[in-house]
Amino acid sequence: MNYPFWDIPHIGSGWVIGMIAIFHVMISQFAVGGGLYLPMAERKALRMKDPAVANAWQSQLVSHSKFFLVLTGVFGTVSGVGIWFAIGLTHPEATSTLIHNFVFGWAMEWVFFMIELTTIAVYYYTWNRVDPKLHLTVGWVYSIASIATLVIINGILTFMLTPGDTWIGVAGTGHEAGKFWNAFFNPTYWPSLFLRTGVCTSLAGIWALITSSRIDGDKQPALKSGMVQWSVKWLVPSFVATPFLLMWYLFMVPGTQRALLTLGIDTIAGGTFSTVTRIALIIIVTSATIVGVAYYLAYRNPVDFNLAHALSILLLALIVTGAGEYAREMLRKPFVIGRWMYSNGTRVPYVPRFNAQGYLARSMWTWDGDATAQPSSYSRGEAIFRGECGSCHTMDGYRSMRTLMAARDYAGIRNFIQMLHEDKPDSPYHRFMPPMVGTRQDMDDLANYLNAHVNTPASGPQKPLLAKK
Amino acid sequence: MTSKTIANSLYGWVDERLGLSDVAAFARHKTVPAHRHSFWYYWGGISLFLFLVQCFTGVLLLVYYRPGADAFESVRQITFVMHFGWLIRSAHSWSANLMIFAIMVHMFSVFFMKAYRKPREFGWFSGMALLALATVFGFSGYLLPMDELSYFATKVGLQIPAAVPFIGPAIANILRGGPDVSEFTVQRFFALHVVVLPALFLPLLGFHLWLVQKHGNALPPSEELKHPSDRKTIPFLPAFLRKDLAMWLISLNVLALLASVFPWSLGKQYDGLSPAPLGIHPEWYFMSPFQMLKVLGTLLPGEAGEIAGLLLFTLGIALWVLIPFYDARKDSGQRARTAHYFGIVAVVLLLATTAIGYWTIQ
Repeated sequence: MNYPFWDIPHIGSGWVIGMIAIFHVMISQFAVGGGLYLPMAERKALRMKDPAVANAWQSQLVSHSKFFLVLTGVFGTVSGVGIWFAIGLTHPEATSTLIHNFVFGWAMEWVFFMIELTTIAVYYYTWNRVDPKLHLTVGWVYSIASIATLVIINGILTFMLTPGDTWIGVAGTGHEAGKFWNAFFNPTYWPSLFLRTGVCTSLAGIWALITSSRIDGDKQPALKSGMVQWSVKWLVPSFVATPFLLMWYLFMVPGTQRALLTLGIDTIAGGTFSTVTRIALIIIVTSATIVGVAYYLAYRNPVDFNLAHALSILLLALIVTGAGEYAREMLRKPFVIGRWMYSNGTRVPYVPRFNAQGYLARSMWTWDGDATAQPSSYSRGEAIFRGECGSCHTMDGYRSMRTLMAARDYAGIRNFIQMLHEDKPDSPYHRFMPPMVGTRQDMDDLANYLNAHVNTPASGPQKPLLAKK
Repeated sequence: MTSKTIANSLYGWVDERLGLSDVAAFARHKTVPAHRHSFWYYWGGISLFLFLVQCFTGVLLLVYYRPGADAFESVRQITFVMHFGWLIRSAHSWSANLMIFAIMVHMFSVFFMKAYRKPREFGWFSGMALLALATVFGFSGYLLPMDELSYFATKVGLQIPAAVPFIGPAIANILRGGPDVSEFTVQRFFALHVVVLPALFLPLLGFHLWLVQKHGNALPPSEELKHPSDRKTIPFLPAFLRKDLAMWLISLNVLALLASVFPWSLGKQYDGLSPAPLGIHPEWYFMSPFQMLKVLGTLLPGEAGEIAGLLLFTLGIALWVLIPFYDARKDSGQRARTAHYFGIVAVVLLLATTAIGYWTIQ
């Protein structure tokens, strides 16, 4: 059992979180934006003078709210729990910090989740059964609760990128939770909140285009035009404000991390170095495409707008969301919690201790196997690899060590590890990767392990994989 | 005068001299067939779009690229020093590959829709010539960075013309500018890539587009069988154009994704004295002929194999190009069926030999 080093071959554990998270974000942000869309659309219908048109709008909203209930209430919640499983297994240290630091934040979040889940069910099942004004009020209660969930989770997510000086000042003293509000309202809190709100309203419009596209344009052209065009308008605030909000956001990010964005402008060296820039380009091109497609296919030709068109916009939105979340993760490198915890779970102030006493000696999660037998250098190296490298690298898939270390012999691999250990400020890896912590013996062990895989002898890889039994 | 009156009078002035109203009226009345195979109509447009991307990015690369002895260094600067140089280069290389892919899809869709039949024979011939020129564009452009891979791939690639009996070695020497691939070769390939080929390609492309305009979109045989009153059409403006532009937008997104996620890399500077690195192989669009020649070389070792391979190849291409003369009648007779099977064999052979080619490298 190798818990908590959750070894996912080929794609790496990071991608497991990534895939669940991107799926979740597409739905959870719809849950917030769509929560605003529903009561606003209902209010619009209630104010319509022509009862026939109002009824048509309302019956469309009934089917949209059913879609909303199933998507957010089932897939949104299940994937949200999935993220907890995945991060708990992949980043136990970081997850523990988030839980301990924001325990009341999470409590508030879950209260609002409960209100959300209850009110959206009440909202759907009471269409045409209670007074319209009361029904609308239920919609507004859902909306406020869902916005509250965003307001809270945004504080925790932005904390991971920019924890703020005050929190960093007490980090590791046991008084971190006392600086809850400093950590919560951290430097990137506000720009991120506005950015995410914009994304939420856009997704409300994009998902609503899915249900609107199903209206029969030949039978109900006025309803279809009205719904499609009104839904497209939900994309406008975000697309107007995003460039400015993004600049504000980046302005609040520490300069060292902001440099990751500009690094890719003039180089593609090493691939990873320029990832943030390259991902940013995808976001720009795809966002512009969404604007073009939504305007020409939906707004200008609402009656002909079909499900394939709507799905293509959704697919583009998925690319933008995925790219955006990936870029945000990359921007945090080499930390998982800015300036406090490296992306492999090593706390920044613990580096000297690891270097003096050895990584395995001070690591909380190593398995010591059979206490009577000494593990081999290879198996110690494997444990170090899982602890220090495994959260970002795999042996032969995503960020493959076999590829990255190819053409290096043992000495070359050992020198590379030495460079990562020294972690000099001018090293190109300093901006992206945590230092390799540990003693000289640890570095030898890791080099042995990597060398056995990169320069596999004809007789096959060394065994045993872990400690001798 | 309001801005509208100014615009109207300006339009009137231009219209009187160029006849824009006639073109607009023609475009308004133009229709495009609509049926279940309509999807294949967009591939010509996609190829055109990717060609335009290459013209644009190619001109930008031209600003910094220096052929000759400096070739590698200039590409290194474009890739690692110039702001967004890597992006322009990646977009250029990716759009080149995507264009050849799009042209191939276009070619096979034309083939299976039998759009080469009367009166569209010249459309087919000019299209084939454009594909041939596109592959030469690819071959000549591949060498320009002068890194290890491009150097050895070109060296191997030039063995094909060199194998032509009697005149082959002379042709290869002219292309190389000497007995071996060197700076002179880059200079020649550069001239070919940016002057000679565009000078041939652009008028031919204009001719091809004019023919498409003149004859309109061909109907697939299944639609031909229908009574004219049962056939559906959509107006070119705005319905078809809008879909065409949507395809362009999709192509742009695919291109942006590929160029950003998989930027075109640059290998080590070439060294004529070093041994060829392992796994040298031609670009994917040459993999099929490369593999077929390799197989024939194994069956018939020596010069006989090379000559047999070239002959067989020339014969196959000639049959493919001349298909409009063989399958000319608008019915589904024996000849039409034979042509159809010929197309299927060609697709299977192309895919299989390409797959085997990559398989044997690994």
